[in-house]
Amino acid sequence: MADRLAMYIDTSKCMACRGCQVACKQWNDLPAYQTEQTGTYENPPALDHYTFTRIRFAEYDDPDRFQWLFLKEGCMHCGQAACVDVCPTAALKYGPNGIITFERDLCNGCGYCSQFCPFGVPHLSVPSPLRGTGSLTGLEGQIELAQYGALDGLTGDVKSSKCTFCQDRTVNGLKPACVKTCPAGALDWGNRDEMVAKAKARVDVLKTQRNFPQAQVYGDTQLGGLGRIYVLKAPPEAYGLQADPKYPAMSTLWQKILQPVGQVAFGATIVGAIAAFFVARRNVHMEEVE
Amino acid sequence: MSVRLRGTDSAIQIRWIPKYTTLERFLHWVHTATFIPLALTGFILFAPFLQPVAQGEAGTQIRLIHRIAAILFGGVPIIYAILQPRRMLINLREFLSFTKYDVLWVKNAVPYYVLGRHHDMPPQPRFNTGERMTALVMILGTATFGITGLSMWFLKSIMPTVLYQLMVLVHDLMFIITFAMFLIHFYLAVIHPMMWQSLVSMRYGVVSESYAREHHAMWYYGEKRAKEMWERRHSES
Amino acid sequence: MTNHWVDLKNADVIMINGSNAAENHPASMMWVNRARDERNAQLIVVDPRFTRSAATADLYAPIRSGTDIAFYGGLMKYVMDNNLYHEEYVVHFTNAATLINPGFQGPEDLDGLFSGFVDDDGDGFGSYDKGTWTYQTDAEGNILRDETLQDPNCVFQLLKKQYSRYDLDMVSQVTGCPRDKLEEVYALYATTGQPDKTGNIMYAMGQTQHTVGSQNVRCMAMIQLLLGNTGRPGGGVNALRGESNVQGSTDMALLAHIIPAYMATPNAGSHPNLAAYIEKETPATSYWANKPKFLISLLKAWWGDNATAENDFAYDYMGKVESAGNHYWISLFESMHAGDIKGCWILGQNPAVGGPNARFEREALEQLDWLVIQEIFQTETVAFWQEPGKNPADIKTEVFVLPAADAMEKEGSIVTSGRLIQWRPQVAQPPGEALPDHDILNLVALKLKELHAREPGPFADPILQLNWDYSGGPAHPVVGELIDIAKVAQEVNGYAVRDVLDADGNVIVKAGDLLKTFGWLQADGSTACGNWLYVGYFYPLPDGEGNILPASKRRGQKDPGGLGIYPYWAYSWPVNRRIIYNRCSADSQGNPWPGGKDLIWWDAAKGSWTGWDVPDFAATKAPGDAGFNDPFIMKTDGKGWLFGALNEGPFPSHYEPVETPTDNALYANQKHNPVIKIWRTNEGGDVGDTYGDPSQFPIVATTYRVVEHWQAGGMSRWLPWLAETQPEMFVEMSEELAQEKGIRNGDQVSILSARGKIQAVAIVTKRFKPFQVNGKTVHQVGFPWHFGWGGGAEAPALATGDTANDLTPHVGDGNTTIPEYKAFLVNVEKA
Repeated sequence: MADRLAMYIDTSKCMACRGCQVACKQWNDLPAYQTEQTGTYENPPALDHYTFTRIRFAEYDDPDRFQWLFLKEGCMHCGQAACVDVCPTAALKYGPNGIITFERDLCNGCGYCSQFCPFGVPHLSVPSPLRGTGSLTGLEGQIELAQYGALDGLTGDVKSSKCTFCQDRTVNGLKPACVKTCPAGALDWGNRDEMVAKAKARVDVLKTQRNFPQAQVYGDTQLGGLGRIYVLKAPPEAYGLQADPKYPAMSTLWQKILQPVGQVAFGATIVGAIAAFFVARRNVHMEEVE
Repeated sequence: MSVRLRGTDSAIQIRWIPKYTTLERFLHWVHTATFIPLALTGFILFAPFLQPVAQGEAGTQIRLIHRIAAILFGGVPIIYAILQPRRMLINLREFLSFTKYDVLWVKNAVPYYVLGRHHDMPPQPRFNTGERMTALVMILGTATFGITGLSMWFLKSIMPTVLYQLMVLVHDLMFIITFAMFLIHFYLAVIHPMMWQSLVSMRYGVVSESYAREHHAMWYYGEKRAKEMWERRHSES
Repeated sequence: MTNHWVDLKNADVIMINGSNAAENHPASMMWVNRARDERNAQLIVVDPRFTRSAATADLYAPIRSGTDIAFYGGLMKYVMDNNLYHEEYVVHFTNAATLINPGFQGPEDLDGLFSGFVDDDGDGFGSYDKGTWTYQTDAEGNILRDETLQDPNCVFQLLKKQYSRYDLDMVSQVTGCPRDKLEEVYALYATTGQPDKTGNIMYAMGQTQHTVGSQNVRCMAMIQLLLGNTGRPGGGVNALRGESNVQGSTDMALLAHIIPAYMATPNAGSHPNLAAYIEKETPATSYWANKPKFLISLLKAWWGDNATAENDFAYDYMGKVESAGNHYWISLFESMHAGDIKGCWILGQNPAVGGPNARFEREALEQLDWLVIQEIFQTETVAFWQEPGKNPADIKTEVFVLPAADAMEKEGSIVTSGRLIQWRPQVAQPPGEALPDHDILNLVALKLKELHAREPGPFADPILQLNWDYSGGPAHPVVGELIDIAKVAQEVNGYAVRDVLDADGNVIVKAGDLLKTFGWLQADGSTACGNWLYVGYFYPLPDGEGNILPASKRRGQKDPGGLGIYPYWAYSWPVNRRIIYNRCSADSQGNPWPGGKDLIWWDAAKGSWTGWDVPDFAATKAPGDAGFNDPFIMKTDGKGWLFGALNEGPFPSHYEPVETPTDNALYANQKHNPVIKIWRTNEGGDVGDTYGDPSQFPIVATTYRVVEHWQAGGMSRWLPWLAETQPEMFVEMSEELAQEKGIRNGDQVSILSARGKIQAVAIVTKRFKPFQVNGKTVHQVGFPWHFGWGGGAEAPALATGDTANDLTPHVGDGNTTIPEYKAFLVNVEKA
C-alpha cells in the first residue's frame, strides 16, 4: 500500500521520559490505576486495557558497551494482522492508510484479538473472571474501574482495546498524541516508505558514527511490514522483541481451513438431509414396517 | 393403547416396551433445549451474513446466552451421573460395545433409511449403531466443549495463548462435528418418515413392540435368538 | 544559563555533569539531539549512576558523588598540560595573564588551605581573610598582566600549580572513575578548545547540592574560559533550573542574600543608610557602576511618590538583616527548631519532604505558633501534624491553609533557565476558593494596610506608604475583584515617574510611559523599576510578523542567522540578549571565530558591533579602543575570572563531603571544606544534627529526581497518570552490593543514616557499579526524594513512600548553604 502511514520510533534517541505514555492516556481518556514498585521503572507492568503504549526498560550487557534500552511498545499495526482476521465483528479493520482501526461500539468482547495477536497487544477490560479488579484499583479523578468487576468477566460484558495510532487524530491529519508530545525527536509519523527510509539512514549513522555495530531496523519486513518502524541499537531480543514474529498458524488453520470446512459441512448435511427425505419418502413405507 | 394409523380409519392395538427412564427423557430434552441455542449462537461465527448480530451489545448478549446455555448443557450429564449412576453405566457399556453387526449396519444404513431396503439390515441391540455413535459423539462433544469452553471463558490471559488458540480450534471442530451430527439426528428422529416412534419414545419413554422388533431385534428377542433369526433369514435369501 | 535552551543545538561536544537532563529536562534533549544530528556533536554524561541521560549518551563516565572538583581539576590539568586550551581567548578574555599578589599562597603551599585562613574556635572550620587574594597593580592602580603567561605569579601559572597533582591516576583514585574512561572524556571535551569548536556543560543540582557546590560551578566556569567556550554559540555554563520559574524567582530574589536583580540585601550594620549602601555596593568599574540607578528605581517602584530624595527614597523603609549569612534555609529551620522563629509562611513548598534532615525540619514546624501555607494539594507540609506516629493533639502549631491556583490557572510571566521571560495566559479556572498566589498576597497586603491605618503601631509608614495599587482585574465571586496582573508587570518592567531627559534636554521617555531599556534608568527618582534586569520585557515591541505587543507576549518565529536566537520570541533578560558575554563570540580583533557560528562581530564599515544577537558590549567600542578585549562587562577588570574569590578560595580545591567513606587523598590534613558551618543541634539524639561514620554507614548515597515526579511531589504525586508510572519509594543499588547484603530485586529494604531510617523497594541493577576509591571498594546507592507518607488524610497523595530526606544531613555549601543532598553516608539491609 503506497499511502500506508507508519510511526517511526528511534530507540537511540528515546530517553524514556514516558511523555508518550502519559500523553496517550490523556488523549484517549484512559484511567490510571494503582501500581506497585517491583524492582523496575516499568509501570504499568504490561500493556493492558487502559495502557495502549508504554516504555519497556531492558538492561543489555553488551560486552562492548553497557546499554539501558527503552522500547516504546504498543500495537504494531501489522501488514498482515491476525487480530483483524479473527475479529468476528469487524470492530478491528484495516483502516485507511494501513492503520488497524478499532471501533469500540462494534466490539463484543470476545477477546480473540487478544489471544491471536503475535505481540499480545489488544487487551480485554476483564480478561477472565479469575482476573478481576484485584490489580486494577482506579486512582482518584478517573473513571470508576469497579464497574469492570469479576461479574463482567463472568457474563462477558467486556470490551477489547488497543492503540489505534489515535485514529481520531490521524484521520484528521494530526499526528498521534505520543508523536506530538515526544521531546527527544525519537518519534515521527508519516508515509511508511519515508519512515523506513529514515530508519535505514539512521541505522547507517548509528553504525558508522555512533559505535552501534548491532543497530538495525525492525518492522520493515515483519508480518507484512509493521506500522511501527523501529530503529534499534541492539538485537531485537535485547529489547524483549521477537526477532522473527510469526503470523499465528492457528489463525490460518481456523479462519482459512476450519471455518470453510464447517460451512461446507453444514451446507452438505442440510442439503443431504433434504435430498434423503424426498428419496426416503418415496421408498420407505410404514406398512412395510408392520 | 390404540393408535390411529395415518391416512386410514383403522386403529391398532400396540404393546409398548419401556426404553428410557423419565429422567433420561427429561435430560435429553434439556440437552436438546440447550444445544440448540448453543449451536445457533455459535453458528453465527460461521455465517458472515449474520455478523451484525455478533456486533457490539447484541454480540455481548448472545455470548451471555451461550454461556448460560452452556452451564445447563454441561449440567445434564452431571445430574444424570448423580441421580442414576447405575443406569448411566449400563448405557455407557452398551454404547461402547460394537460388533460385526455394526459394520453391517453401517453398510446397510443408506439403503435402509433412504431406499427402504430392509432385508439386509442386521439386528441391533437397544441402541442401534447410529444411536450409539450419536451418543458417543455427544458424550465426547460435551466433554470437549466443557474443557475448551471453560478454558476460553476462565483462563484467557492465564493460560498460554497457543493453548487458547488450540482451544478455539478444537471447540470449533467439535462444533462442526456435533452440529452436523445433530442435523442428521434431528432429521432421522423428527423428519424421517420411518422413525416417528423414536420421537414417541423420547416423549413417553416407550417404543412399540413392532418397532422394537424391527429396529432392536437383539433387545426384543435377545441377542442369541435375534442373531439366529438373522442368520437364518440371510441364508434363505 | 549563560546561553539558552535552543543554543544547545550549536554545540560540538555537550557534557552533562551533575544533571540528568533527559529525566529532569526532557525538552532539552530535542536540542541536544539536533546538535548530534546536524553537526555530529558528541554527548558525554558524567554521573555516579547510569541514568536515562547516560543511556542516550555517546560516552559515559561514572564518578563517586562529591568528587566533581577532582574531576574538573583533572580536566583543567589535562587541558593545560597538553596545550589544548584556547590560547587567544585565554590570553585576552580571561584573567589568566593577570599577576596576583606575591603574598598569595595556595593549597600546594599550605597543606590544603589558601593564605588567610582564620579558625576562631579551633574546630577546623572558619573563614578566610581574603587580603592576599588580590591583583598586582602599578602605582596608578593599573592591573599588571603578563600575556606570555609565564610569570610564576600570573593566574595561569598559579592555576597550573593548583592542579599539578590532579593527574589521571590521582583523579581516578579519588573519583573511582576508571582511568581510561577519564582520559577518554578529557580528550573529547578538550577538543572544544579548538577555536572552531564549542562545548557546552549542562549541570543542575548534582553540582550545586554539595558543601563545595559553588566551587563545582566555578570549576565549570573556569573550564569554559580555558577552552574558550563562554559567550559563544554552543558553549557556556548552563544551569538547568529545577522548576519552570526558578530563574524568575532567583531574579526576583527569593533568596536571603539579595534583593531583586542581584543586589545585596541591606544590612543594618554595613548599610545603615542609602549613601552607605551605595558606597559599599557600587564598584567603580563594570556595569554595576550603575547600581544606584537600579536601587533608587526599585525604591521608587515600591514606595512611589513617598520615596523622595529628601527621605533617601525611603531606603529606611526596607527591611534589613542584622548579620549576613544567617537567613538561609538550614539556619531558618535551626532558628525555628530553637523556637526563635514563631511563625512561618510557606508558598508552594513542601519542606516536610524536601528539606534536608526532614524529620528535624518537621520537628521544627512543630515549634511554630502558626504556619500559613499556600498550596494546591494537602501536602505533607500542609498536614505535617498528621504524620504517622505523631499525635496531632500534641502539636500546638496553628495551621492556616490557603488554597492556591496552579501555574496553569493564573496569568503571568515565567522565566526559563535561558533567561527567557515568557508571558503565559490562564488556561483554566482555579477550583473552588483557590486563588493565584499574587491575589492572596494582594488581599493580605490590603488588609495589612487597613489594619495599620486603624492601629498604626510603632513603625507603620513602610506599609502605609507602600505604592500598592493593582486593582482593576477580573471580578471574582468570593473576593470581589482580582488584581490586574498587567499593572504588576508594568511596575516590574519600569516606567518614567516624570519626563526623562537626555544630556541635550530631549525627552527620552515621557512621564508614565514604560521603559524600553535599563539604559534609561535614573538615580534621581525620575524612573521606577521593580527589577532592572527585566526592563523592556513588557515594553511593546514588534514580533517580526507585523504585530506589536508587550515583549514577553511575542511569539515571532523568525530566526535570522539560523543560530536559534529567535529574537522575536518573548523577551530575554538582559535587553533581549540571548547569549550573555557574547563579545567572546568574536576574536581579539572583533572578527568571528572560525567554525561558522558567527553571532556578533565588529563591523568596521558601520563603526559598530553587529550580528544576530544584542551585543553584550559597548556598541561602538572599536579595535584598539581601551577595553576592546574586556568582554565581561559585569566584572571590574572586564575579564573572565579564572582566579575569582569565593569563600573557600580563588581556585576550587577538592574537599570530601561532610559524610565520606574515605580520607582526602589530595589534601591529607584538610578533609572537608573549611568554611562550612557544622550544626550540632541535639547531636546524637533521635532527631538531630548527627553525622555518620563510615564504620557504621559505609555506603555513599545520593538523592535525585525521576522524570515521573516533580520535586517533593506536590505537583505530581496527586496526579493519577504520574502516580501510576512511579508509584512507590525505591532504592537503586549494584548487583555486587545486593549480593553482599542478600538483597534481591524487588525486596523491601531499610536504608539507615545517622539521622534516620526509611524503607524502600530495592531495584538491583547493572546501572550502579561499585567504585574503587583510594584502594578500596566503595558502594554507592541512590534514591528519589519525591516521596512522603501522603499528606492530609482527606485527600492523600496517590504515590507514597518514605521520605529520602529523613536521611540527609543539615549541612550546606560554604557560600550559599545549599544543602548537601547529593553525597552522604548510609547503610542498607533487608527489611
